[in-house]
Amino acid sequence: MNDLPPLRTIGRPDRRVDAGEKVSGQAVYTVDIELPGMLHAKVLRSPHGHARIASIDASAARAMPGVHAVLTRDETAAIRMPVYGYFIKDQPVVATDKVRYEGDIVAAVAAEDEGAANRALAAIRVEYEPLPVVTDLESASDPDAAELFEEPPVGIVPKYGQGASGELRPRKNVCYRFSYETGPADAFADCDHVFEDVFHFSRMHHFHLEPFVCVADWSREDRIELWTSCQNPFPVRKEIARIFGLAENRIAVRVPYIGGGFGSKNGCKSEPIALALSRLAGRPVRFCMSLEEGFLTNTQHAAILKVKTGAMADGTLVARESEILLDSGAYSDGSPLVAEKAGYRIPGPYRYRHIKSDCYCVMTNTAPAGPFRGFGGTQTSWACESQIDMIAHRLGIDPCEMRRKNLIDLSEPFVPGESGMDSDLREGLDLVVRELGYRRRHELADCGPVKRGMGLAIGFKDGGGVNKPALARIKVSTGGDIFLQCGTAEIGQGAHTALSAVVAERLGADRSRVRYMPVDTDHSPFDQGTNASSAISVMGQAVDRAALAARRQILDFAAEMLDCPADELDLVDWKIRRGNEAFPLAPMIMGYYGGTGWEFVGEGFHKAQSTHAAPLEAPCVFWEIGWGGAQVAVDTETGKVTVEKLFVTGDAGRAIHPLACRGQDEGAAVMGLSQALFERMIYDGSRLVNGDALTYRVPLADDLPADFRSVTQEQGHGPGPFGAKGMGEGGMLPVASAIANAIYDAVGVRLTELPLSPERVLAALAEKNGG
Amino acid sequence: MAERLGPRFDLSFTLNGASVSVSTTTATALADLLRERRDGRGTRLACERAVCGACTVLVDDVPRASCAVFAFEVEGSTVRTVEGMAEDGELSPVQAAFADNAAFQCGFCTAGMIVLTEALLARDPDPEEAAIRDWISSNICRCTGYSLILEAVRDAARRKRETAE
Repeated sequence: MNDLPPLRTIGRPDRRVDAGEKVSGQAVYTVDIELPGMLHAKVLRSPHGHARIASIDASAARAMPGVHAVLTRDETAAIRMPVYGYFIKDQPVVATDKVRYEGDIVAAVAAEDEGAANRALAAIRVEYEPLPVVTDLESASDPDAAELFEEPPVGIVPKYGQGASGELRPRKNVCYRFSYETGPADAFADCDHVFEDVFHFSRMHHFHLEPFVCVADWSREDRIELWTSCQNPFPVRKEIARIFGLAENRIAVRVPYIGGGFGSKNGCKSEPIALALSRLAGRPVRFCMSLEEGFLTNTQHAAILKVKTGAMADGTLVARESEILLDSGAYSDGSPLVAEKAGYRIPGPYRYRHIKSDCYCVMTNTAPAGPFRGFGGTQTSWACESQIDMIAHRLGIDPCEMRRKNLIDLSEPFVPGESGMDSDLREGLDLVVRELGYRRRHELADCGPVKRGMGLAIGFKDGGGVNKPALARIKVSTGGDIFLQCGTAEIGQGAHTALSAVVAERLGADRSRVRYMPVDTDHSPFDQGTNASSAISVMGQAVDRAALAARRQILDFAAEMLDCPADELDLVDWKIRRGNEAFPLAPMIMGYYGGTGWEFVGEGFHKAQSTHAAPLEAPCVFWEIGWGGAQVAVDTETGKVTVEKLFVTGDAGRAIHPLACRGQDEGAAVMGLSQALFERMIYDGSRLVNGDALTYRVPLADDLPADFRSVTQEQGHGPGPFGAKGMGEGGMLPVASAIANAIYDAVGVRLTELPLSPERVLAALAEKNGG
Repeated sequence: MAERLGPRFDLSFTLNGASVSVSTTTATALADLLRERRDGRGTRLACERAVCGACTVLVDDVPRASCAVFAFEVEGSTVRTVEGMAEDGELSPVQAAFADNAAFQCGFCTAGMIVLTEALLARDPDPEEAAIRDWISSNICRCTGYSLILEAVRDAARRKRETAE
């Protein structure tokens, strides 16, 4: 570890800046926003997985008391471009010709209250002509399969660099393909062994506790005001401007505290409907979905991953070719971006001579899949870290040694043109081995039919997003009150705390002097979004520069006033220090500027350098690594897997707020634990059968392993302020494969499909024992 | 529209130590009644199916999912919400323990978790680890992975015992 100097605010166990409001019930979320004359929206959803809409009759609904607006396909003509999406604009504000999943929105009503809106929805008559459904990833492109979109998609393929390419609709029911290739394909010919394995990945819902919700006010013709539980207000502003044909400076998007998102709250969700209704009604409209509707709005990607790996007899990895099918659901949403990341991350943190991957976004008649913590990296870490273990066992090599042999070195580029690895991967692996007692795993005592084992994994993703620019502004008043303006939303991750701490540190102030200003696109500097673990790694750099710029101005001003060089001066507690002398700033400022004084304003900007040498056109900001290890007890009579120990560790580079870092890693790890053991969306054809809080099982405190620990490493190599790296996703990545690897260690059966349920364990045991 | 929620009636109960008399309807849920008040929005609604516990309040010292309690059920009762936990403007030991241990992230489950913990510690000032896990398992937190919440509960128990001594 680096020897890091002690600092005033960074790394201290102060309360988070949002602690007081959140423990006292005073924190304001979008669900709390109320405007005078506000109406309430509810939507009518398709009961069919795939159907043509023959007719919609909403006349009775329009005539009902308390109803102020009804939106069906007949009203969307007034909307300039009534479709949205990330790379591909394929999701309609309300269904037009077809519905493509059970839950697709067919109509919406704004009424005096939600009850009146629901009664009006019940009075809308829709005639459907059902069509065959597509629910199977592998047969979606068969000639006889139904087709979700007959027309080619309206969308873009972004610029890619060396070795990478993308394609819209490469085949039927596939909206996007991402491919990457480097090194000579004939490398396989040199391998002693080539292993081909297939892995299945399950699908979860984010289960954010605050629902999808917004309050939209478009009662004045040329002004939109929108409060929304949204991770990326600036891209949403742009999308709204495009959909409704309004200038961006007429649209204010405001983001109060967000009650959880985990990726789901990127892009338009409730906003277009609420805005369209508000325009029709001439009043503000609140659209708050239920938790059940959340399941029908955005999900993780189920996946099939086919991985072919060539290796030498001594365990040296040589080549890897992969084909990944992502279940994108009925609309593209963030799928092309997730495909890009899955296709790029499938090699894992290892060195190869040849890599080739193809990732396909397969459209099915299920809820749209989109960004989810891990963003394709969860899927690829599951396959990659399972297969590394399998290969090690096939070659008779210890799985830990197999990894150590092939891991990328510190500072070594992941692939040609990429940035260097910014964590010592072996250091993290050794920590897991030590904490878990992995080397003594053969001493674990079995207990009758209950067998014990241990497994390791290293989750891997590129962090910080691709080519994300970020802007920040710091204002400091005459009295030394600090305003921090930036577009990063507080979604629970602790961004307000961490970014405020960076500013306080740079300006020699107590953190309590910093106020994180409300996120409002009218006033906040531009930002691409709160995602990709980018708050500290990307926005942190902009905020740091803004704080340093403000500091520079203050010191330059004081140097002029004191008639000395600025480099003799320091700034501490809003006083200028020169040697043993201290000069309060306020009187100095008042004396010069007069009246009520002045505000110093510092701006900071960050953008990764674009370069065609980097496969994704900009080198990775930082590498987000999640090392994990598990000890399991497998009951060979019931198939039940008990995770007795779970240890995860990430590298924060520098932990700005250690407890927030720990919470991010542990929260992510528990999400991984539940995906490994039980949590998943269950579809019967196109019908989701467990889309509610009672039947969809999320982890509870009781589900924690008896021994569950995390360690936040501070290796000090990050690009962020004070050497920080991003956090929040890495802890989820290694968990499922570490548990599967531990099951193999315990009972010698390999599960390649999630969740690792008792039924699957028993079936695998039966097969092993000659079934 | 209001008639759909049943006939109106006058309801009296004690909310966070103050007498409250309101006109409401027979089908109104306690959570909705609280959230309509400016001083009751700290109570959060998430699943609205009495599963997640985000809306937990104390009704006569019993933790209840207020989304699944009719307002009329609290006639004459004492209701305590997260807003009523502070004492003389100071955070309660439970609230302070949640704040100091960063036992929250997005904060949406926090009110329910704090109310639940207040109820646990009122019954058992020194709960065993199994009892803490059992109680906290009645509410859902999607962010923290629970470990920091369990630490906050243990810390809160310690603080309350020290204050009592």
